Amino acid sequence: MELIKELRSKQEEIEGLKSLVTNACEEKDMREMAAEELLETVEEEKRLQHELFRSLLPKDEADERDCILEVRAGTGGEEASLFAMDIFRMYEKYAQKNGWKFDVIGIMESAVKGYKEASGTISGPGAFGKLKFESGIHRVQRVPVTEKSGRLHTSAVSVAVLPQADEVDVQLRNEDLRIDTYRSGGSGGQSVNTTDSAVRVTHIPTGTVVAIQDERSQHMNKAKALKILRARLYEIERQRLHMNRSKLRSEQIGSGDRSERIRTYNFPQGRVTDHRVGITHHSIADVMEGENLDVFIDALLLQEEMDAIASFAA
Amino acid sequence: MWARHVRDRRPFQYVVGNEHWRDLVVAVRDGVLIPRPETEAVVDMVRNVEGFADGWWADLGTGSGAIAVAVARELGPEGKVFAVDVSEVAIEVARLNVQRYGMQDKVEIRHGSWFEPLEDVKGKLMGVISNPPYIPTDDLPRLQPEVGWHEPKLALDGGKDGLEHLLHLCEGLSSVLKPGGFFVFETNGNKQSEFLVDLISTKWSSSFHNVEAVLDFAEIKRFVTGYRR
Ligand SMILES: C[S@@+](CC[C@H](N)C(=O)[O-])C[C@H]1O[C@@H](n2cnc3c(N)ncnc32)[C@H](O)[C@@H]1O
Repeated sequence: MELIKELRSKQEEIEGLKSLVTNACEEKDMREMAAEELLETVEEEKRLQHELFRSLLPKDEADERDCILEVRAGTGGEEASLFAMDIFRMYEKYAQKNGWKFDVIGIMESAVKGYKEASGTISGPGAFGKLKFESGIHRVQRVPVTEKSGRLHTSAVSVAVLPQADEVDVQLRNEDLRIDTYRSGGSGGQSVNTTDSAVRVTHIPTGTVVAIQDERSQHMNKAKALKILRARLYEIERQRLHMNRSKLRSEQIGSGDRSERIRTYNFPQGRVTDHRVGITHHSIADVMEGENLDVFIDALLLQEEMDAIASFAA
Repeated sequence: MWARHVRDRRPFQYVVGNEHWRDLVVAVRDGVLIPRPETEAVVDMVRNVEGFADGWWADLGTGSGAIAVAVARELGPEGKVFAVDVSEVAIEVARLNVQRYGMQDKVEIRHGSWFEPLEDVKGKLMGVISNPPYIPTDDLPRLQPEVGWHEPKLALDGGKDGLEHLLHLCEGLSSVLKPGGFFVFETNGNKQSEFLVDLISTKWSSSFHNVEAVLDFAEIKRFVTGYRR
């Protein structure tokens, strides 16, 4: 409503300026100044109109949430695991740049000390809204350090970004969960000593499984597993709603389709290309340092907005 | 040191002097029981009791003090835990853990047998928590070596059916709890839990209500909980 008021007053201003400009009685200097101001004010009006329009578009309620990042090495063997580590760290640095908190949930290392799988939480205003476009397949082309012949490899890493969900969003019923822990069989309790605190939680109705072993106590592993489980279930539900809303929209970017190849990192040529918006950035080093990711993200945000406007108008 | 760990089956936690339990790093040493993952759930049950944060609680047989410290950390300004143990070593280690987490103002450690050191707070407790020794004496020789050879018998031996201390605790409950007060005991599993639930809800039905067995993560009836009328 504030916006509407502001827009009204801008429009009045424009009327006033127009009459000044066309009023022959005014002095020339005065009319020129008014004309200049008129141009500026019209620009302002446009901006306000756009903003007003945007505020009317349906918003993704999840945008403001914290998120969970999951990175997995895909095709390409050990090299993929090294790239998975690079990508994971890229987001860590990007999070720091944005003043968000980055906490590692768990890392499964590969033989060459890369990451087979890594996950973390990113907390801060609007984290999911910006990072949601990162879900998908990230492809890398480079000569692996492990490669002696100097041949170029192509490998892939999959990234999933899920909005975080709390107990209110996703109520887990005990009877729907199966919790597996280390058990030597027998009575448990005082009879058993174990240093194995790994926990695996299965959500029976959906078959979703989350296993955590990074924390040293079972209690902590379970808490983490439930947090991820909630995010996964919330995402399943969100996707369902998303699909329902319109078939068209689900094909648009940011739909979180994890099998879509979204970006290529070409090291020899020093470039990163986002295939959805067709933008190429020519300083791969900066991107990997968490700089300039916004080039892609801003373009993707803009495209999302335009898609929304299109489907709004349709 | 490591040779001893491997050959003698000395618990890893005694070698390093710590056990990770909930979000705590609990100091342990020979002579005190290493807190178990099953017991982690006790703290969650306490937290679910209405108004728990400002009540007085007792942790009977506190051992390393793990439960007492974890509960104390959740309490409000009025809340307090009395941590009782008969073992000198346990008292010493519990004191260490209380200090480690700066809970000196919230945890009062008392040396003695079960309810004996609590005469002055009779009828004033919002809750009683206990993980007493509950392994039947006959089962002791067959325990996993890490447990049977190294952990204190005083912390494990529950007498003939393993119920000796549990029964003693049940009997004393009603005199220390205030009306509406809560209790949770850990047990050896289904048999003990079922027996106790049955006993309390028949023999002492006039004193207690909502008595039930609660499952642990392995689906074993590990705990008995209830409220005083
Ligand atoms: C199974 S351990 C539990 C320790 C700790 N509460 C835990 O959960 O890790 C049982 C404890 O009860 C103590 N205990 C044994 N007999 C006792 C008695 N008569 N009075 C008080 N404590 C006793 C033992 O010293 C031991 O610390």
